[in-house]
Amino acid sequence: MAPTSRFRAFTGLALAGTLALSLVACSSGSDEPAASGDDSGELTTVGFVAVGPEGGWRTANEQNIQDAFSTENGFDLKYAPSSNGDQNSQITAFTSFIDEGVDAILLSATEATGWEDVLERAQEAEIPVVLLDRGIEPNDESLYTSRIAPDNVGISASAAEWANEQFPDGANYVVLEGPPGLSVVNDRNKGWDEAVADNLTKLESQSANWSTEEAKSVFETMLKANGNDIQLVFAQNDEMGLGAALAVEEAGLTPGTDVKIITIDGTQAALEALAAGRLSFVAEYNPLFGEDAIEVVNAALAGEDVESSIVVPSTTFDSPEAATAALPDRQY
Amino acid sequence: MSTPVARPSAAIRVITGLFHQPYVWAIVALLLLLVVNLTKNPAYLGVSVNAATGNLSGNVIDILRASAPIMMIAVGMTLVIATRGIDLSVGSVMAVAGAVSMEFMRNTGTGSFGTAVVAVLLALGISALLGTLNGILVSIVGLQPFITTLVMMLAGRGLAKVITSGQNTSATNETFRWIANGTFLGFPVVFVIAVLIVAVLAALVRRTALGLMIESIGINPKAARMAGIRPVGILISVYIVSAVLAGVAGIFSTASVMTVEVAKTGMTAEMDAILAVVIGGTSLAGGKFSLTGSIIGALLIATLDKTIVYMSIPSSATPAFKAVVIVIICLLQSPRVRSMFNRRRTRVIITDKETVPV
Repeated sequence: MAPTSRFRAFTGLALAGTLALSLVACSSGSDEPAASGDDSGELTTVGFVAVGPEGGWRTANEQNIQDAFSTENGFDLKYAPSSNGDQNSQITAFTSFIDEGVDAILLSATEATGWEDVLERAQEAEIPVVLLDRGIEPNDESLYTSRIAPDNVGISASAAEWANEQFPDGANYVVLEGPPGLSVVNDRNKGWDEAVADNLTKLESQSANWSTEEAKSVFETMLKANGNDIQLVFAQNDEMGLGAALAVEEAGLTPGTDVKIITIDGTQAALEALAAGRLSFVAEYNPLFGEDAIEVVNAALAGEDVESSIVVPSTTFDSPEAATAALPDRQY
Repeated sequence: MSTPVARPSAAIRVITGLFHQPYVWAIVALLLLLVVNLTKNPAYLGVSVNAATGNLSGNVIDILRASAPIMMIAVGMTLVIATRGIDLSVGSVMAVAGAVSMEFMRNTGTGSFGTAVVAVLLALGISALLGTLNGILVSIVGLQPFITTLVMMLAGRGLAKVITSGQNTSATNETFRWIANGTFLGFPVVFVIAVLIVAVLAALVRRTALGLMIESIGINPKAARMAGIRPVGILISVYIVSAVLAGVAGIFSTASVMTVEVAKTGMTAEMDAILAVVIGGTSLAGGKFSLTGSIIGALLIATLDKTIVYMSIPSSATPAFKAVVIVIICLLQSPRVRSMFNRRRTRVIITDKETVPV
């Protein structure tokens, strides 16, 4: 009996070990380029508290940052994606970067609030923190060095202006939002609400968690609840806009003529859909700002003054032709 | 309790019988939700033929379609919970199944029927593999189900990300798309498939001794073993069934948009499944289970999700609304509250048979 139970315990341990190993293998799959050894003394060590896989936009953005902060450019980038967008895992990664004593930290926060404590700790340790894309709330600029991001408010305002032009006689519209509480969602709502004309009626606003699947289900019900009397959808990211387009087709309507769909981000999938006429307006939210981030980090480490907010320029696509022209060089 | 009072008519017997079922409050809540929707639009329950697509369309059809994946994972979860276990990995298995099928169809590039069949088989195969691993760890190694499936939940999502290299992957295949968006005799194919699978499973566990064996393991594993029931095989089978059903759910939800979103597909699906099981009246302590209850639970969750959007409840308030409804149902089902109601109701039935609330 005794050897069997010991054997059982051993197999248990062995299996658990294998699982743990495979887990580690899974999570480290994407940060191999960052693990470039500790013996590189002259390299600037930068910790990147990232969001991780979320959608086409995020992948392009984080890949661009990782490519920019390469060994050739004199950086050792430690990439720490969150576990499925969980803020706690980001705070853990952030504090361990402080404890390691990295030279600078890049942060793309999954949630806007709750960063004061760790940012103060970074300040005490004299580690400059650069916010990428997502801001924090309350926006206390003394807590971080700089924020580099495209201007969410301006981008959604440009989308609203396009909608005003398209519907001079008014229309009914709905908003598909990201998860409540994110600074992106608040900013995109703010820009839209400020610029949209009064004769456009907002029927409702619902969160579809950035997801195609949820957006399809949500918009299918919105169409039913309003008897198909919706002319415009403002989807706060490409994925949700594509989901809404599927729901429109499913309801036997034609996207582009019956329901016009506006999306923000400008990923390849969205531009393809715009070229095919399934989306009507795509506002780009430019993810490629690795070079700007390098400049800011270098300036901060050299002790120079850095602007507290740096806006990345973005464009808009309002026709299938514009999308077709842009598609060949689309990097994301 | 079960002695008929002065031989009531068949209809009343069915209704009183229903009142003894643990899931009666789930049915009441389901009807209430439908009534709430009806107050907004009296035509809520109407089903019409869509002129453009020729399919049946209506809110009820949407609910049936949305309930199919929840139904799948809830039924699997019921069997696992009946053995005193739990399967937290269903959401991740959904993502893995979706990732495998999407990646396969994207890489083969042909939109043929055969590709779709292979994609489905691959997805179900890898789900079964993950389920087997769960089952072996729980039954032979003796790890706790909670820990085992928690590890699998984390590992599974990691695996899905590795399969698609962290990208949301899309593919085009009309057959695969038909699974989630097509109709069969006017009904959504997903719902028809789900009902067929549930019917086969129900026949398997209720027409044979399998269901009793599963319950006996949940009620008292030692006594079950002494009575000659070998728990290892049954435990491994229930975890495989749960994972394969999660694979089916994964196919349903990715086929609906022909995209797998590795960080979102099946996210918190395990919670929906557990809720459906609890709402359906199966105790988390294991033992007696009710597949019908879990199906009603799944329908209730789908209706709740749809009602939130239909009634335009603001997105920030939706989790709270969902929580309130579910807490109320769980409260109504708790033995103490139920015994209070039972005492009151017996009196009502004896004195006034005609006005039994439906």
